[in-house]
Amino acid sequence: MLMSRLLGKQLVISVLTTLLALITLAGIFAPFLAPHDPNLVDLSHKLNSPSLEFPLGTDQLGRCVLSRLLYGTRVTLSLTLLIVASCVAIALIIGSIAGYVGGLIDNILMRVCDTILSFPSFILAICLISIWGVGWQQMVFVLITIQSVYYTRFIRGLVTNLRQQNYILAAKVCGSSPFLIMIRHIIPNLLSPLVIVVTLEIGWVIMDISALSFIGLGVQSPTPEWGAMINEGKSFLLSHPRLLLAPGIMIFCVVALFNLLGETLGGKKGTTKSIRKSKKEPVEGLGGTQ
Amino acid sequence: MSLLIAKQISKTYTASSWFQSKKKEHSAITNVSFVVESGMCLGILGESGAGKSTLGKIALGLLPPDQGSISFQGEDLYRVNRHKRKQLRRDLQVVFQDCYSAVNPRMTVKQIIEEPLRNFRRLSVSDENRTVANLLETVGLTINDMNKLPNQLSGGQLQRVNIARAIALEPKLIVLDEPVSSLDLIIQKQILDHLKELKEKIGLSYLFISHDIAAVEVISDRIAILDKGEIVETLDTSNMYACTHPASQKIIRSSL
Ligand SMILES: Nc1ncnc2c1ncn2[C@@H]1O[C@H](COP(=O)(O)OP(=O)(O)O)[C@@H](O)[C@H]1O
Ligand SMILES: [Mg+2]
Repeated sequence: MLMSRLLGKQLVISVLTTLLALITLAGIFAPFLAPHDPNLVDLSHKLNSPSLEFPLGTDQLGRCVLSRLLYGTRVTLSLTLLIVASCVAIALIIGSIAGYVGGLIDNILMRVCDTILSFPSFILAICLISIWGVGWQQMVFVLITIQSVYYTRFIRGLVTNLRQQNYILAAKVCGSSPFLIMIRHIIPNLLSPLVIVVTLEIGWVIMDISALSFIGLGVQSPTPEWGAMINEGKSFLLSHPRLLLAPGIMIFCVVALFNLLGETLGGKKGTTKSIRKSKKEPVEGLGGTQ
Repeated sequence: MSLLIAKQISKTYTASSWFQSKKKEHSAITNVSFVVESGMCLGILGESGAGKSTLGKIALGLLPPDQGSISFQGEDLYRVNRHKRKQLRRDLQVVFQDCYSAVNPRMTVKQIIEEPLRNFRRLSVSDENRTVANLLETVGLTINDMNKLPNQLSGGQLQRVNIARAIALEPKLIVLDEPVSSLDLIIQKQILDHLKELKEKIGLSYLFISHDIAAVEVISDRIAILDKGEIVETLDTSNMYACTHPASQKIIRSSL
């Protein structure tokens, strides 16, 4: 990472987290920050250019673009949080069991994962949504289903690797139960690689939510969501490009910030790769050996 | 009295999974028998890959053998019920070669040594602190080291922490799997002398596993030579140079 070499890792991390915290806060406090009701249709103000009253102008229904962006931050970030937290919880349970118990259970679980992983995830998401129906609840459910498979594989790889560490054997010899070994030794040592991967994955989840909402399968209008906003604005691509650019830039910035943060946190160790790009679980640089 | 008796144990590693028909078998231990007498140290001497660590894990109750039996204090380690097994565990401890991978990198020295104490004894906080301090002193460390993390200690110091954890429950037998091989010579000697002293002081027995004849010679009362998974010869340390088997001659001569 050129940036962290030039500026120092700590500085880069704090700048990135500050920016992300600001965006999150903007989402949380959207009701106080937004100048207008994001869903208030006022056709007398439609397609207004930016002004003092509407800092980013209005869309084809006269709704304030800035207010919609701010509320959109809220929608996107809370859905992302919901999806990622559920995936981590599911993966921690299933992945740890598979990795720690091994044997037949591990084999069955991993073959199921392989089957799901053999489909391109976005296509699979579209198929499942077309079966289960359109809407944000269905989208969240589908994304959790698919994403947790990636996380499960990743956690299982980490646990399989940690399980062979001598300190796990030593803990067994000391009389610690499998539950205590999980709590005292395995989970704490999973956390730092997990944080890195989650940071990298958040960007992807945001892209998925926006993409699915853009093609009309996710968050439905009039709920303000960045992808859905791009969809609504696409007919005004040439006449009023700001309707697309505003949500587009938000998606770009948030995804880029999360990815940069993930890569900076990961350093040069082997864990920086997104778990989507590498289907094999990363195994290097873990557990503190040597 | 015999503390640990291994009878005809064999272990084969199979690299296979449930869905693959082709199995790769690798026989690590074949028909190994040995006895560790109470208060004595049995050295297991063998080249790298001879199956020493496998043998150590079997003796610790961590890896069930395919054949044969291990009895510790008269009870078969792999046939007793869970409750009894936990009681046996208390008397059977371990020190591994790689002192860094033998401790959780996120735990302090105090937490590492407390782990066995917490599993078996209900001590008040002050008793626990006192016990940990005593143990640190016994292995030649100080109370100042109590809140350090493993990466703040040298290899020798960390191996002492491992020893403190192993003796925390006042066990009868400690399996030492190459406990000094990754340390430099002076530290090796210090730790070996220390282990020897502990053995006399608390009446410990050791199963001392090593590829280093010099280390085995210092500490062991008897030596079993392990070659390609089989024990080819067992001798008293005092007359180990009288060995007859070609494999043991090769190992023992190599040190001269
Ligand atoms: N978990 C395992 N799975 C498969 N083979 C193993 C495993 N552990 C050890 N082995 C093999 O068994 C043999 C003996 O290993 P080990 O007991 O570690 O030897 P030593 O400690 O004497 O160097 C080696 O050839 C090693 O490759
Ligand atoms: Mg070994």
